[in-house]
Amino acid sequence: MVFSSIPFLFFFLPAFLLCYFLIPGRGKNVVLLVFSLIFYAWGEPVYILLMLFSSFVDWCNGRIMSSLHAFPKLRKLSLCIALLINLGLLAFFKYADFAVGIWNSLTPWDAKLPGIALPIGISFYTFQTVSYSIDVYKEKIRPERNYFSYLTYVCMFPQLIAGPIVRFESVQKDLHGRQVNESGFVRGFKRFLIGLFRKVLIANQLGELWELIRADASISIPTAWLGLLCFTLQLYYDFSAYSDMAIGLGTMLGFHFPENFLYPLSATSITDFWRKWHVSLSTWFRDYVYIPLGGNRVGVAKHLRNMFAVWFLTGLWHGASWNFVLWGLYHGILLALEKYLWGEKLKKWPKLLQHLYAIIIVVIGFGIFTFDDLHELAVYFPKLIGIGVALPLSGDLFWYAGNYLPFLLAGLIFAFPVYPRVKMHLQEATSYRRRLMNLAAGLLTLVLFLLVVAGLVQDSYNPFLYFRF
Amino acid sequence: MENEKLTVSDRVIVYMVCALILVFTGGFFLSAKRDFSENENRKLAQFPEYSFTALKEGRFTDGIKEYVTDQFPMRDEFLGIHSEALRMSGRKEIGGVYLAGDGSLINAYEEPKNIDKDITQWTKLADNLTDARVSLMLVPTAVTVNKDRLPKQAPDRLAQELYERSGLLPEGKSPAAVQQSDIDRIYSAMAGRADCIDVSAALKEDAEKALFYRTDHHWTTYGAYIGYQCFCKSRGLTPTALEAYTAETVTEEFQGTIYSKLNDPWFGSDSITLYSDPSWELTVDYGDVGSDSPYDLSYLDMRDKYSLFLSNQHSFITITNDAVPEERGAIALVKDSYANCFVPFLLNHYHTVYIFDTRYYKGGPSKFINEHPGITDVLILYNMGTLDSDTGIGGIY
Repeated sequence: MVFSSIPFLFFFLPAFLLCYFLIPGRGKNVVLLVFSLIFYAWGEPVYILLMLFSSFVDWCNGRIMSSLHAFPKLRKLSLCIALLINLGLLAFFKYADFAVGIWNSLTPWDAKLPGIALPIGISFYTFQTVSYSIDVYKEKIRPERNYFSYLTYVCMFPQLIAGPIVRFESVQKDLHGRQVNESGFVRGFKRFLIGLFRKVLIANQLGELWELIRADASISIPTAWLGLLCFTLQLYYDFSAYSDMAIGLGTMLGFHFPENFLYPLSATSITDFWRKWHVSLSTWFRDYVYIPLGGNRVGVAKHLRNMFAVWFLTGLWHGASWNFVLWGLYHGILLALEKYLWGEKLKKWPKLLQHLYAIIIVVIGFGIFTFDDLHELAVYFPKLIGIGVALPLSGDLFWYAGNYLPFLLAGLIFAFPVYPRVKMHLQEATSYRRRLMNLAAGLLTLVLFLLVVAGLVQDSYNPFLYFRF
Repeated sequence: MENEKLTVSDRVIVYMVCALILVFTGGFFLSAKRDFSENENRKLAQFPEYSFTALKEGRFTDGIKEYVTDQFPMRDEFLGIHSEALRMSGRKEIGGVYLAGDGSLINAYEEPKNIDKDITQWTKLADNLTDARVSLMLVPTAVTVNKDRLPKQAPDRLAQELYERSGLLPEGKSPAAVQQSDIDRIYSAMAGRADCIDVSAALKEDAEKALFYRTDHHWTTYGAYIGYQCFCKSRGLTPTALEAYTAETVTEEFQGTIYSKLNDPWFGSDSITLYSDPSWELTVDYGDVGSDSPYDLSYLDMRDKYSLFLSNQHSFITITNDAVPEERGAIALVKDSYANCFVPFLLNHYHTVYIFDTRYYKGGPSKFINEHPGITDVLILYNMGTLDSDTGIGGIY
């Protein structure tokens, strides 16, 4: 099920909230678990077994490791088995086709493609269970005694499908006793609505525009750039809006999920971008790959190797296709360059130039990201510098940009921390003006909500980019 | 965030949205479910049938999603809100519909994929006929005729301007098509087998008039009259002057097929004008029922008012006009719905008009036509906008 859909908003969510708030105490966890299983089974009725199995393995592993205090070698063995199973399942279900494809292109012996459909959310929940096992091994957290509590952590529907990748340590306390109150409900619901608006009213519209531009083979140079910008904004709003909705739902239920996007498109360098983009993923790679390899406290050669490993894997995590690997390495290389060559000089540039530098690199990067067919990429990219375009400058930019202008502008403006600033101003305003603004905000929310419903009823373009990652 | 004070306004906003959600959820369970949407002219999804296989393959849950989306309370109103919001945001094209400068709605041109099949079937018909003289009339739609009303920079407009200037098609555009070039192509393929009647030039000459409905994909009766003049010119007939007909505006509330795509009252409605000749002495045989008029005004009470022409869909219609002597012969039409408002103009020139709807007429019109030597003319009349969606093409031979 997708948050931005009629079944979720008008049936699943009210039913769930009603049960959740009516049933007291520990019963709330049961409600959350049952509804989460329904939520997952709704879109993945078969592979739900895989998720149950995967989380069972890690829970068992946690129990085993905690009872083997005196035998460090056996603990290590137990950890290795759990990691092997989890990562093995991920490798099989996500990368089998890709691997066979590589094999077929390198060797004369052709194997049949397994043709496995990717289970929804497997990349996210595998990373959660893996982090759990490693944290238990390192004794950063106490292992969970109750399987159902652990399962609730893994398959909790707000964050199951597309993150944020929540670590066990940040929910363990909440799982066993959290404050569920009106304040959390209201704040969480508001956050959820903001995410819903960003997804349906901005991401979907800009995604539609990107599809139009992508399908048009004779675009001019500016339109080619506009296309990549649209995709960048679409991806950002699609994904960060999902995090907004997930965090909002979590807050409603009394959980505290980590922030996942900190206005990444307002970054001033690529290093800065990765501090702000999909934070729960980059910190995961930092804590479980980069630092164990030695991080940057090693020689330059080794440090570069560590960076290569992390960025190769980050790319690959996003999808079983070369373009994702390329995208990861592209960012890895730029990060290395910033670290060793121009990072310090960059900081002396005017702020505006820093922003431009970062956004152009990011947009080109997402250009690599969007074409999982490299042939298509090889046709599109030359157009950015005028190769293969019929007319380098023609009116098509006005047609495309003109038709979607309010959405483009909103997309660009809200990529910067405008909302928090407005809110701060509001707190300083006189009470009369504040009341006026509150009234306006209330009306605006109602109008936007009706527009969201209209968009969902119309059932127009409503993809979900991270669904399959 | 954590220690933020809960403000009254946040509470009010959140509870208002919650109430709104519950109102619609309640409305869904209380409202009657519909089988068919007149407005969208399609069947609405019903609750899916449960089976374990359907559940396993995800069809069951997908079915529920379609069901609740199709049956959502005030669905039609929400569709209108969606279009109106996009219009207000400055969009000049919504889902393949151009919002023209004069407030009319114009379908974008989609290149028919089955042009070769169309040519094959029409050729078959022409070859099978022994005596009758065959004419082919392909009517361009508003996207071509009213090109200058399209928004500036609209892909269809640029493509046509390029074609008119240089005879070239825009490379790699989607749609990579120009209606006129497709007409030209079909006409050159059919040359020698049929008299190909050019109506584009005449329609364009009169483009400032209301040749097409503002909210429907059909031509108006006036547009059809221009087409009739072209036909007369090609057959050497003298057209009846428009003033000789009694004109009657029967409705001003016609909201056509393109309106239905958007369902936004902002775009208004059309009027339908009927032309009849006082001298007509008609017998209209629809196969099942009879009438004395090619217009069935009972459709004025329904949504799809264009169906009043020739009473919507009949596999075979015979119209005789006793005011015209039998020696003037008969004409047979193989056609789509564009012909329905065109046929009345032919009645002054032929004693009998036979009209085939090959979606329903089985056995091919050529057999019937060859068995009736009174039929001197055969007219194939189609518009360029719906060639692909016409399911009757295969029945032409």
